[in-house]
Amino acid sequence: MSNAVVDREVDSKKESRANEIKRLERREGWKRRLPILPALLFTIVVTQIPFLFTLFYSLTDWRIDKLEPRQFIGIDNYTSLTEESEKFFREAAWVSVQMTVMAVLFSLIVGTMLAILLDRKFFGQGFIRTLLITPFLVMPVVAGLMWKTQMLNFNFGIINWILNGLGQESVEFATRYPMGSVIVVLVWQWSPFMMLIVLAGLQGQDPSVLEAARVDGASTFGIFRQITFPQLRPFLELGTLLGAIYLIQVYDHIEVIVGGQPGANNLPFYIAQRSIGGGNRFGLASTYSIIVVIASIIIANIGLRVLSNLLEDDS
Amino acid sequence: MAEVRYEKASRIYGFGGVGAVRAVNELDLNIADGELLVLVGPSGSGKSTALRMLAGLETVNEGSIFIDDVDVTLKPPQDRDIAMVFQNYALYPSMTVGENMGFALKQAKVPKAERRAQVEEAARILDLEPYLDRKPKNLSGGQRQRVAMGRAIVRSPQVFLMDEPLSNLDAKLRVQTRTELADLQARLGTTMVYVTHDQVEAMTMGHRVAVLDHGELQQVDTPRRLYSSPANLFVAGFIGSPAMNLIETDRTGDELHFGSTVVPLSDDVQADLKASASTRFVVGVRPEHLIQTPDGAPCGATVVEELGSDAFVHASMPHNGTEATVVVRVDGETAITRGDNLTIAIGGPVHIFDAESGVRLGKPVT
Ligand SMILES: Nc1ncnc2c1ncn2[C@@H]1O[C@H](COP(=O)(O)OP(=O)(O)O)[C@@H](O)[C@H]1O
Ligand SMILES: [Mg+2]
Repeated sequence: MSNAVVDREVDSKKESRANEIKRLERREGWKRRLPILPALLFTIVVTQIPFLFTLFYSLTDWRIDKLEPRQFIGIDNYTSLTEESEKFFREAAWVSVQMTVMAVLFSLIVGTMLAILLDRKFFGQGFIRTLLITPFLVMPVVAGLMWKTQMLNFNFGIINWILNGLGQESVEFATRYPMGSVIVVLVWQWSPFMMLIVLAGLQGQDPSVLEAARVDGASTFGIFRQITFPQLRPFLELGTLLGAIYLIQVYDHIEVIVGGQPGANNLPFYIAQRSIGGGNRFGLASTYSIIVVIASIIIANIGLRVLSNLLEDDS
Repeated sequence: MAEVRYEKASRIYGFGGVGAVRAVNELDLNIADGELLVLVGPSGSGKSTALRMLAGLETVNEGSIFIDDVDVTLKPPQDRDIAMVFQNYALYPSMTVGENMGFALKQAKVPKAERRAQVEEAARILDLEPYLDRKPKNLSGGQRQRVAMGRAIVRSPQVFLMDEPLSNLDAKLRVQTRTELADLQARLGTTMVYVTHDQVEAMTMGHRVAVLDHGELQQVDTPRRLYSSPANLFVAGFIGSPAMNLIETDRTGDELHFGSTVVPLSDDVQADLKASASTRFVVGVRPEHLIQTPDGAPCGATVVEELGSDAFVHASMPHNGTEATVVVRVDGETAITRGDNLTIAIGGPVHIFDAESGVRLGKPVT
């Protein structure tokens, strides 16, 4: 046999072996992809298709109180947002920003303080922790009703009863301070969520690190500022972002407590008002929704990045 | 520089009565200025608790602790001027190596420039200069251990407290580091209390060694004397590797038997034996004090451990009606193998303990 023939035989053997490996790799890939396929399809059907429809509606002039057919108008809805006629949209956007920032900030502060109190051994710890979590488990509508009727009510609310007891006049909270009232309820509901996140951070600390700091002469506050807080930072960031994503979508509390009076109407509430709530401007409302979605996606992206950093740090 | 004194110091967990655990019970211990004292004992014997009581991290429920004749029993850790190295090092994860080492000085409001100088000096001693700007998670185990050491020495404290600082290192590094640590302590001349469960570490490092068991101090002495004159059965079994042969035996009048031989007893042991009402005793002989002699007790080799310079023969010996296992040290050149028969006898110091109370008979060997 000549050398050339042998070489060719060796080459073809090598090739078939390489093909075999490729085939195995492909099969391996499908084995990994196949199980997530149903979830992926489901997600596309329930989120992406409605989103595409909304995107399409936002490019049309569509009102169901008129007989005219839906008209494609390009980006006119978007450009109109800066006009004088849309000042309520900008107001609602500003309310959304204020409400979200305040609610997140205060629930984070209250949640952190509760977490610090809970992060120690005492009798009945589990019971107290469960009690503190319950506000988070109450349905938003129910929370709104509870606060509106039992706490803030002008005639028989507990807060006014206490104020009267202190010799003060009753206050009509929901009309005098609509946004403040909503924020108080949001903080009451969301502090437990922040507490759980911060508590996870506190309990993840190595107790001997805190002891080392004590031996090294640090005060209790010094230990919190110099040791605990830096370790807590990613947890606080995570709480902020998750909280912001949810709180930007608040609707129920506003509907129940202030019910459309000016001063506390955020974007979701305004969107509902302009479409199903009687406004009937579906095209325009779709435009608002798209804006909210884009803003939320930006926030969520930052959130996911923080989350993955957190998980990397742990490993 | 300071002396340390425990006076009947106890740490009691749980509420009085049933269920209360005396993790450390009425500990009396004097540690001299500049001394390296090792606390050794099996896991759960209260070593860490005793150290943490001195650090101020555990409440002293009874008794008191003094540092240089100052009663520190009720003082918080930050007022005791001590530095502690933890088993897992407990480095501050969000700070660099330099910040870790300078942390205590910062708390003491030492000016920045001075702080930097002291940190750099400590880093030089410990070969940590290239790593001053790294975070702890980017260091190897040995480097982390040195940072923990650095954090302690930067402060020039009155007393160093070390809780098993080498137990997370691999065997080779552990042996090397323990020499370096003992050398560092000698150079600085600072009193050190060192906790370990490893009796070899205790014997090689300690000026004196305190043996703890079940929260009770068993004996405190120099390594040499702990080995040659254990105060009780526990210390006899704990110190030394391979362990001392401890053979239980019934008394025959005023004689004790080891296999088929009669144990040679000194006059003071003989006197104590005569005075004792007990019937069961433990004969303790170190493997190197058993010799092969034609008129010794017969036994059969079961396992032979070759160590090169010498070998340890595990042998089964008919004793007191049953078989007892004894370990004999023999020359590495001797060709004893499994199944061989030998005759052995006690050819060195023998330790006799009361089997019931564990107390040693006779005067301590000096
Ligand atoms: N917080 C605690 N509550 C109850 N018992 C404890 C506590 N901490 C330690 N102990 C007990 O005290 C004893 C001594 O513990 P420790 O000092 O950690 O032992 P060592 O360091 O010698 O291994 C152990 O029996 C342990 O179970
Ligand atoms: Mg321990």
